[in-house]
Amino acid sequence: MADSKSPESEPTMRTLLRHVLDSAVPRTPRRPRSARVRNQSSQTKATARRHSRGARATGRRSHVKATGRLEEQTPRTLLRNILLTAPESSIVVPNSVTMPVPAPEVVRLSRRESSQGSLELRLPELEPPKTPAPVLLAPGRKKPRLRLSLFQQEVDQGLPLSPEPHGTADASSLTSSSLNLTFGTSLRSQSVQRPGLARRPLTRRAVDVGAFLQDLGDTSEAMVSPGDSYRTPVALLAKDAVLEDTQPFSPPLVGCSPRGRRSLPCRSDTGAADAGRAVGRRTWSGPALQNSPREPTQLPAGRSEEVNTLAVGFPNPSSGDSGEDGVEPLEGEGEAGENTEEGAVNVGAVEAAAGMQGSARTAESEGCPEVTEADGAVEAEEPEGSSGDKDTSSRTASPQVASGALGALQAQRRHQFLEPVAPPAAAGLCAEPLSARLPPRPRTAGPRPRQDPYKAGLSHYAKLFSFYAKMPVEKKALEMVEKCLDRYFQHLCNDLDVFAAHAGRKTVRPEDLELLMRRQGLVTDQVSLHLLVERYLPLEYRQLLIPCAFSGNSVFPAQ
Amino acid sequence: MAFSTTVTRRQKIKRKAPRGFLKRALKRQKPHLRLETNGDLLVHLNCLLFVHRLAEESRVNACENKCGIIKKEHVLAAAKVILKKSRG
Repeated sequence: MADSKSPESEPTMRTLLRHVLDSAVPRTPRRPRSARVRNQSSQTKATARRHSRGARATGRRSHVKATGRLEEQTPRTLLRNILLTAPESSIVVPNSVTMPVPAPEVVRLSRRESSQGSLELRLPELEPPKTPAPVLLAPGRKKPRLRLSLFQQEVDQGLPLSPEPHGTADASSLTSSSLNLTFGTSLRSQSVQRPGLARRPLTRRAVDVGAFLQDLGDTSEAMVSPGDSYRTPVALLAKDAVLEDTQPFSPPLVGCSPRGRRSLPCRSDTGAADAGRAVGRRTWSGPALQNSPREPTQLPAGRSEEVNTLAVGFPNPSSGDSGEDGVEPLEGEGEAGENTEEGAVNVGAVEAAAGMQGSARTAESEGCPEVTEADGAVEAEEPEGSSGDKDTSSRTASPQVASGALGALQAQRRHQFLEPVAPPAAAGLCAEPLSARLPPRPRTAGPRPRQDPYKAGLSHYAKLFSFYAKMPVEKKALEMVEKCLDRYFQHLCNDLDVFAAHAGRKTVRPEDLELLMRRQGLVTDQVSLHLLVERYLPLEYRQLLIPCAFSGNSVFPAQ
Repeated sequence: MAFSTTVTRRQKIKRKAPRGFLKRALKRQKPHLRLETNGDLLVHLNCLLFVHRLAEESRVNACENKCGIIKKEHVLAAAKVILKKSRG
């Protein structure tokens, strides 16, 4: 258990076990021997009991040990055995060194137990085992390092193809800086050309592994037999290099195998083009190159992507003229607001045209001889490989193009692939079109229009009507009440207007209302307005309407 | 049928005055008029008294017709009387 863990934990565990053994002893003498005898008889029973009685049992054992240690399993014996066996299992390398150390300790323990001496004597004894432990630990730590270094060297030497991926994997993983340094040096020595390119292969391979299983079933047909043969080594390489499964897109399956091939030729190609390092541009340049083969395949598909292909197609002829390229794709972006796919492709075209036309041309030129070397079917793929090694999208598209016979099916696949790939490119490169797209989206209508506030107020008084009526009221009757209220308000306003106008005011004063209520018969000589207010209005409103004396010789509201 | 269309008495009513509604109602009909401070409360009181009278009158009508439910006709008959009474 503890032994199997890291070597560092061992000393602590060992010390703990020893402490247990030591501490258990002193308790025993307190107990009467008769109890011990009973315990011995019961020791053979369940182990749980043994644990609980461990202290007692150890006490007996000190006596029994004179006879021999071979007794039944008791906690003490178990602990001793653990101590004996532990060092062997835990420390893999220095068996010879470790073995002797524990044995004497055990002997000491036995002596202590038998003697049952004072604790002070034991404590100093415990210390020595601790000291050897760190010694043991040091070699244990060193050894993994040695292994790693050796392993790395072996990997580098044995697998010449893999070195780049390893270096990339280490850099990406950002594990231990020291390890990275060692890797980086060896890797760079072999492939000194460019770090940026080294990065890309990592991503590709990760994708390959995830998609490889799916690939077998689906796209094996599309790919030529040689492609399969290439695939297997690629997958192995990917596994060797610590793969990052971060990539969400499995689709590049088809493209993976071509990538593997390309990676080798690409290095030579990329070596020339490294200075630019506009990998993204290159990737996009790849599709631009492919445009000629794509167009026939896409046309049958008859989708909106045709426009994309056309837009991409512009940069190809324009690639000869760098200045024109930049302008045309920009126009395409304006259109891109309509279609996300178009936008992404156009952006890619713009980048390719603006940034790395020179590099792309070089790549193309390099790719051409490769194509001639490769089979006719693979031709389309390889040019892409030279230019488009960097991006998955270009690769995915390339194999599809390569198998021109499968045009329709592959075009559909390409649609699938392009759609996922496009958003990241668009997000990173052209934020403008995205922002432009967002606002036009139709927003859901706001809160539904409220009921007419006037109606709401009338309904409030209608409820009061139902309260005063003290009888069930028909809903139609309530509607009628609302109509009456409406009419009543009209009369009220007219009356107030007349009263105010008669007094030569434009402000309705409480006197006007009192007069109105007096004319309505509500306020009489017996029933004053204040009485009505007290009767019908809550206290808060009464305070506002009826003048009342407050402390400080003040009256509110002032009269 | 009557049951579904009837409105039982509310256990609790809001005693709070819809002051905003009252002011707006007056302003809507007579834009040139302005209510003095707490004038809307008096309008509210007047309205309460009107509703009270209307309710009592309609209830009397319902009782005269030996009807347990205040119907539209009862309110209409009461409104004729009360509106005439509440003229300024």
